[in-house]
Amino acid sequence: MFTNLEKCPRNLLVCEKSSFLNEKSRHDIHVAKHFFNYKVSILIPECGIIPSFLSSVVNGFSKYYLVRDLPLHKLLEDEFLEKVVKTGSLYALSYKTRIDQDNTFAILPTGQVILSVDKDTYEELGLEGKASQYNHRQPMRYVVTIDMTDKSLAPGGKRYKRVMWALKEKVQLTSDFLLARYSIGGDEEGLLQSCLSQYSCKELRPSVSTQTLRDLLCPSLDPADLRRDARSHDPQQFLEWLGTVTMDMSSNNEATSFVSTYCCPEPQSSMSQALVYTVTGLLLPEDIHSLLKELRRYFDEPRFTSWLSMTVHGFADSPISWGSTEHGFHKGGENFYTFVIFKNQDYWLHMATGANDGCPP
Amino acid sequence: MGEHASYERLVFKNASVYHYMKIDLILESEDKRLNAAHFKQLIISALRDLYGEIGAAFPFDVLKFEEDTLTAVLRVYNSGLVKLWSALTLLGSYHSEPCAVRVTQVSPFLLALSGNSRELELD
Amino acid sequence: MAVFVDLNISHTVDKKRLQNIIETAAHLGYSTVAINHVVDLQQKKQEIGKPKCVSELFDQFPIVQGKSRPIKVLNRLTLVVSEASHFRPTNEFKSYDVVAVFPKTEKLFHAACMSFDVDIICIAVTEKQPFYFKRPPVNGAIDRGVFFEISYVPAIKDSTMRRYTISNSLSLMETCKGKNVIVSSGAEKPLELRGPYDIANLGLLFGLSEGDAKAAVSTNCRAVLLHGETRKTALGIIHTMKKIEPTAERREEEEAPVLKRARTEAV
Repeated sequence: MFTNLEKCPRNLLVCEKSSFLNEKSRHDIHVAKHFFNYKVSILIPECGIIPSFLSSVVNGFSKYYLVRDLPLHKLLEDEFLEKVVKTGSLYALSYKTRIDQDNTFAILPTGQVILSVDKDTYEELGLEGKASQYNHRQPMRYVVTIDMTDKSLAPGGKRYKRVMWALKEKVQLTSDFLLARYSIGGDEEGLLQSCLSQYSCKELRPSVSTQTLRDLLCPSLDPADLRRDARSHDPQQFLEWLGTVTMDMSSNNEATSFVSTYCCPEPQSSMSQALVYTVTGLLLPEDIHSLLKELRRYFDEPRFTSWLSMTVHGFADSPISWGSTEHGFHKGGENFYTFVIFKNQDYWLHMATGANDGCPP
Repeated sequence: MGEHASYERLVFKNASVYHYMKIDLILESEDKRLNAAHFKQLIISALRDLYGEIGAAFPFDVLKFEEDTLTAVLRVYNSGLVKLWSALTLLGSYHSEPCAVRVTQVSPFLLALSGNSRELELD
Repeated sequence: MAVFVDLNISHTVDKKRLQNIIETAAHLGYSTVAINHVVDLQQKKQEIGKPKCVSELFDQFPIVQGKSRPIKVLNRLTLVVSEASHFRPTNEFKSYDVVAVFPKTEKLFHAACMSFDVDIICIAVTEKQPFYFKRPPVNGAIDRGVFFEISYVPAIKDSTMRRYTISNSLSLMETCKGKNVIVSSGAEKPLELRGPYDIANLGLLFGLSEGDAKAAVSTNCRAVLLHGETRKTALGIIHTMKKIEPTAERREEEEAPVLKRARTEAV
């Protein structure tokens, strides 16, 4: 009895150490494959105001749209596919839908459409899918993946018609959506809006906030020592410390103190100030990639710090985390990654997922 | 170019020894005030009520407490999570007045508490 | 996995309070709640009336936290029975979306599991369980798609009741193995409600596994609602086909063996 009370849902943390200059470095792939990002949070030690080259990258982040009551099939119509989906990378994620309760939809820039639906909807739809990996005793959730780039799904074809019929006639799947499109040309202002003019469509920009922290303790980092066997702190401890800083918590408590015994890991040094710069919205991997590039340039000039970090949080209710790995929500839906960027262009990349998720790439 | 860091990859399963909880305390009467120490004492007594002296004798930290909003972040060893959480759930009064603890987020990663997309409001 | 449901919000004539509880439930992420009308058949002059139409509660129903949908409110009837003759399904049953029974004796528990046409069987949480949960009736209820309900609010309000709640739940779980269990509030005030994830965690104390505990506030409640719908329509069919009078049939069925019950169901 009560053996359950000491157990916890599993979680995974993958840590990589490499250099941006390393030809085989996969940092860009990991960024590109984490499709739905909700928040980016940058920590720059010994920095008081955000350098203009960084804020201008963020100001250039793609706009995104909140579209109300949009039938999913609208996004798969012939014209929309040609004009929008196939000419740039489209990101669409159903908004205010919870992956552990509701039907949730996503369109990936790869042209894949993912429907994570309950049993009733799945049976009515009649499209081929598979049971979710995170079902309990009986399958109650199913995942249907439709690859719109597949030749057999070309508009006008039999399979395409069948998909459209299922989504239009059988069950009209409708939801609020967050939509964004990345195209190299910068471009065709309002293309998405004009295509979806029948629907209530709100244009949004990622929101930015800045916070300056003063007099804090900081673990001393050595880029070569990811594992930290020899020393006293490991990646988890570093991430925990980063969490305390991001959330402005005190980190110099004593082991005897009553309220909190949290203490910054040793060896530590003190930092006179640090900047936390946060961007929130539907953030595109392409934009995050450009930001990462600029962050690396931070060390082009002499600085008081030898490292800085960037944390990217995924949407907790997205049907996928990295690539097309199924993502779910058990007690939480965490999926995030943190880059620690060093002056010498070495980096650490920590990727974390919770209970209902695959292993990060 | 041998001077670049050599590639290394580590995979940790359940490596975090802690879980973190973001919670709100709701009091029926809004004029009651309490500080971090009172707050921790309240949780300890909730644990003791449910699990007794021995059952409740596991450490946890109040990493952050905001007096004006009664919002807190707790840290607890994995083995204590279910116990701490259930004690918070069954906590129903503070100084014989009704109260409730609302748990907004639970994660094995503290960082995850700073980026919860369920808090996104665009309306 | 399905949306979160609390099938037990205590009915009160105080409309404002009821509204407050439902608003809180929506805020906590419950997509559906049921207002529970309790009728204790032991007491005299207790009549099963028609419930008030839920649409009278709000002009606009509160939006469920994190969603764009309003909360769905249903009506539930709970009959407290201590004598077999008290349980008589009437036409009024049909005006409730969910029907529950709280059997006070072992014999009635057996009957409730095996034959009563209900969706939920309540488990005592305010007193020591007065009888054993035997395997045959519990399995019978599981086979018929009837669910056992544990209400958590008494466990918040009083430490003695907390002990009863936990120990009665644990003995139920020994028999039902975590199957067909729902956990609901029984809230009379907004501050008594807890969030669905809190209840999924609390379920572990009741002897449920992680998955079963989450199902107890979601998937299993959905099954209860489906069972309720079928019950409503099934009764209708019996009427139109002019089978035996439903009341007469029920009375006979209370003591009827499983086999017979199964046969009448198949008709």
